[in-house]
Amino acid sequence: MTSRALVCRCAAAILAVTACQRPLKPGDPLRGLSAAERARFDQGKGVFDSVFTPETGLGPLFNANACAECHEDPVAGGTGDEVERHATAFHEVVPAGVRQCDELAAFGGPVYQNHVTPALHTALGIDSEPVPPAATAVAARTIPDVFGFGLLDAVPDSEILAYADPDDRNHDGISGRPNRFFDGRLGRFGRKALVPTLREFNDGAFAAEQGITTPASPTEETVAGTPIPAGTDPAPDPELNEQQAALADAFVRLLAPPAPLKMSGEARQGSDVFRRVGCANCHIPTLTTGDSPIAALRHKQVAAYTDLLLHDMGPDLGDICLGLATPTEFRTEPLMGLHLMSRFLHDGRAKTPEEAIEQHGGEAARSRDLFHALPPGERAALVAFLKTL
Amino acid sequence: MVRFILASLLWVVGPTLAASQQAPHDSVRGAVRLVDTKNRALEVTTGVGMALRIVRLQVPATVPVTTTPGRDQLALSDLKPGDVVRVTFGARPSGWVAYTIERIGRMTSGVEHPPSP
Repeated sequence: MTSRALVCRCAAAILAVTACQRPLKPGDPLRGLSAAERARFDQGKGVFDSVFTPETGLGPLFNANACAECHEDPVAGGTGDEVERHATAFHEVVPAGVRQCDELAAFGGPVYQNHVTPALHTALGIDSEPVPPAATAVAARTIPDVFGFGLLDAVPDSEILAYADPDDRNHDGISGRPNRFFDGRLGRFGRKALVPTLREFNDGAFAAEQGITTPASPTEETVAGTPIPAGTDPAPDPELNEQQAALADAFVRLLAPPAPLKMSGEARQGSDVFRRVGCANCHIPTLTTGDSPIAALRHKQVAAYTDLLLHDMGPDLGDICLGLATPTEFRTEPLMGLHLMSRFLHDGRAKTPEEAIEQHGGEAARSRDLFHALPPGERAALVAFLKTL
Repeated sequence: MVRFILASLLWVVGPTLAASQQAPHDSVRGAVRLVDTKNRALEVTTGVGMALRIVRLQVPATVPVTTTPGRDQLALSDLKPGDVVRVTFGARPSGWVAYTIERIGRMTSGVEHPPSP
């Protein structure tokens, strides 16, 4: 080998190493994908970016005409400025034989779409799906980013359940409990942790957010419980085939969590404060994935900052019920990717992380009060830490 | 009047025929939303992700309602909202008709053998 060739090879090796070490950007795939997995990620992004029309399946009720219309900031898979309406009925006291929470599924709930196609508008004269009078609460829901969701999906149920303490046996005032889907499986996705798996979260979103039927959800949403009028849905069902739905799922599943920003000394101090005031009791810093057919998801540490359990957050934040979740119970929001967010809490009511902390109540009231009582420097350090996540 | 009687007969007998014939069927696993013992009907909440559905089923008197794994016989009235059930059913002109109903757990406590994702 000539010296010139050797220099070239060394340079290439250094470049390769450097490339491997560069921080992941939002929208990047997980590290360590096989060529086939990377190809599915790229193809899946095509489905995620697809813009649907009524002729290709959109609606007739919908919130957006593409996954990437909502999940757009700063790139596909990110957050967005849309605000959805979810509605349910919750009754503290119910007659025997009735659940406390009615997700209003018989009346088109719990997602009430904000838009309709021209054909449905012509047929019914509506611009959005009406919320039925039976609803006792209408909730605003902002758009979560979906970065790192494949890793959350790969966390074993046993790890989540290990953090549950429904009866607060350790007397720390925190009593996380799992939500469950209607078939009894543990839930983890969604602001109330209703949805057990990422695949169902994605397939359900095609149906509930875009009015796109899939093999998993082959029938259109009703209009507040009434079947859609004939002639308002020209595309044959399913409007997305299994291969397309699986590719969209692969894209979301293989999105890497955003790399945390480099911590300053202040932020490092804030990390300690985060634990000291008890934030980390629910916002568990690290979860570990279990077995997975995808090596990049298998036995990985994920800095999720969540326990994926329900916690009572107090009456000021309360809105709808869902599954086992009462109106005041919410899943601990994952904090990974927090530095990319500009609005906070489930309905975006907080404009800064400080405001979000201020509005924590219920089981989080003690930590909120401890935050209040901190010297200004430590409060600032905690916020500086949050802004690196 | 004759038409009404025929319709009523179909409502009552149709489901029984369907149950006995075991026509091509589907199955659903979900939570009991409502038990209507008077009309022998059952509503099950199911769905995919946040796209939820209610399946309303007629339950002819001959339909076995059991527990799992013990397979003890239950009455329709033993089912309560929040029970997790697995139901096989088929379509009749009058709607969906249950063939078998198994109570496999409670939403609050989960089920012993969750379905595969």
